[in-house]
Amino acid sequence: METDDEHDERAGSGDGLSLPARIAVALGVAVVTVAAAVHLTMVFLHVAPPNVVSKQHAAAIGDYIYPEFEQNWKLFAPNPLQQNIAVQARAELRGRDGRSTLTPWIDLSAQDGAEIHHNLFPSHTQQNEVRRAWDFYVSTHDAREQPNGLRGNLSEQYVRRIVLLRLGAERDGRPVERVQVRSVTRAVAPPPWSDEKPGTKPAYRVLSWWPVTTADVPEAKNR
Amino acid sequence: MSAPLASLARGIDRVTRSPLGRYQTAVIRIGISFAWLCFLLREWPNRHEMYGPDGPWSWDMARRLTADNHAFTALVWSDSALWFETVYAVALVSSALLMLGWRTRTMSVLFMIGVLSLQNRSVFLGDGGDNVIHLLALYTVLTRCGLVWSLDARRARLRQRTAAADEHGVEGRSGRDDLDATGVLLWAACGLALAVTQVLGHDRMSWTADGPLPGLGWASALWGLWFVQGLWWCVRRYAPGEPRTVLDAFANLAHNASLLVIMVEVCLIYATAGWYKIQGSRWQDGTALYYPLHLDYFSPWPELSHVLAGNSVIVLLLSYGTVAVQVAFPFTLLNRRAKNVLLAVMMCEHLGIAVTLGLPFFSLAMIVADAVFLPTSFLRRVGAVTGRARDRLLPARTATVPAQREGDAAPRSLVG
Repeated sequence: METDDEHDERAGSGDGLSLPARIAVALGVAVVTVAAAVHLTMVFLHVAPPNVVSKQHAAAIGDYIYPEFEQNWKLFAPNPLQQNIAVQARAELRGRDGRSTLTPWIDLSAQDGAEIHHNLFPSHTQQNEVRRAWDFYVSTHDAREQPNGLRGNLSEQYVRRIVLLRLGAERDGRPVERVQVRSVTRAVAPPPWSDEKPGTKPAYRVLSWWPVTTADVPEAKNR
Repeated sequence: MSAPLASLARGIDRVTRSPLGRYQTAVIRIGISFAWLCFLLREWPNRHEMYGPDGPWSWDMARRLTADNHAFTALVWSDSALWFETVYAVALVSSALLMLGWRTRTMSVLFMIGVLSLQNRSVFLGDGGDNVIHLLALYTVLTRCGLVWSLDARRARLRQRTAAADEHGVEGRSGRDDLDATGVLLWAACGLALAVTQVLGHDRMSWTADGPLPGLGWASALWGLWFVQGLWWCVRRYAPGEPRTVLDAFANLAHNASLLVIMVEVCLIYATAGWYKIQGSRWQDGTALYYPLHLDYFSPWPELSHVLAGNSVIVLLLSYGTVAVQVAFPFTLLNRRAKNVLLAVMMCEHLGIAVTLGLPFFSLAMIVADAVFLPTSFLRRVGAVTGRARDRLLPARTATVPAQREGDAAPRSLVG
């Protein structure tokens, strides 16, 4: 059933086969050749910079490539990232006396950094989770923090749930009522041998407060 | 026949007659399943946070996104914790068995299902390494990657020996007696699992939509592979003559085309990575490498990173070298020696990236992808050394494991 052992190699495609068998093999050659050519063309047009052909046939290329053959090899290109982007969060807690208190800003990226430090095998939860969630948020929101539809809404919920996973749904026995998220972007200082001016002050992107609902608490069933 | 026609006929004969690069595809199979297995074991403590129903990217969110982008993941079929653990376990076990080459054809499909299910479930956790594994998992399904260095190959050798010993027995006995109960059971179990999935009416198991290719649904793809598996068994058993030869030609065709696709894919990775870098001012002024070494997310060894980044000439050479190597790589395939030198350089660079940028699984996946271009003679030597080491460690097995079969017809210019 399973065995993929090789057949006797003397029996090749051409010699000794009947006409129907030869036609079948020939058809196979044609189909596989065309399929491989189409596949490679589509992948090429997908990864190449936008050009006249890929713009004209964008819909067909997208249909073919997405979702399973999607790829992106702009690794550290055209320029590598030249900023450290830290995602930070703080929470508003409801006290027993009804008064609210604020936590200080908690640096989720610094937590990741501490976990990655001297780690030969960093986890995706340390290296990609917060970093890519924030990329996702930024790519699906405009300058006024308006989401661009389904993905924008999902990214907000994702960021909120990561924050609550890291901060906990309650701190010191007091439930988290609202959370606020901001990013702090610091430019990497240019190399010492460069004559470029060192970067300016850090740039902040501060989101508005988000009320916390039970849908925002990950692993709710386990707590 | 005129000369071009004759060479076309020779080419067709070659790609239908034998699977090319069988050591290279075996390396891809072993390497990619090893990388994914290590990744799954590494993330075992974090698996619920990453892919579980109650992780930050919750089951419901994954369902909404995949309903929109039509990516395949078995994990959205149920939000139960048991189903999640089952899928993770299947991914682990199928990786291990694919690495060993046990029932390679079935395991390659289960491996692909495991990779797609987990990666597409939480697509915002992945990076370039996941992307490489994703693509190779899809392509590997169509390669005959278990012909060497696999338990399947060992079983085939043992059967051939038995057949040779029985030569003077009843005519055709070895073929007829080869029922392969394990294979039949495995095939039946896969069919049953597919049928259950289909009956439960999972919306992603369509015949003509939302599949790996336009017009091809996952139901057609998976049932198709299952059917071919059954057909292969029937033909081997009942029609060992011409039908078997024709099927063999089809399998070789699919294998050779997939091998070509993998090779071109690797070239495209390097070509576009280099192509985009050339456009960047940092790669042009030769300081590019300085920056990733100062990113908090990619400097697990800041002492090392700062020593590297502190030397302007090293940064310049590595930045220019990276671009030059990436742009040049596809063209070095025209020259065997240049190709092998560059291959060694790129594998070393990826080893460096694994440590300095803290990207071990990305680097491992890239090294595996590079390995498709390793020369057959080198791979055979590695195989022989590994075999001897194994025999020394497990002397009792020596008697039952004959030497690796020879006879690879790989082209010298590309994979040779």
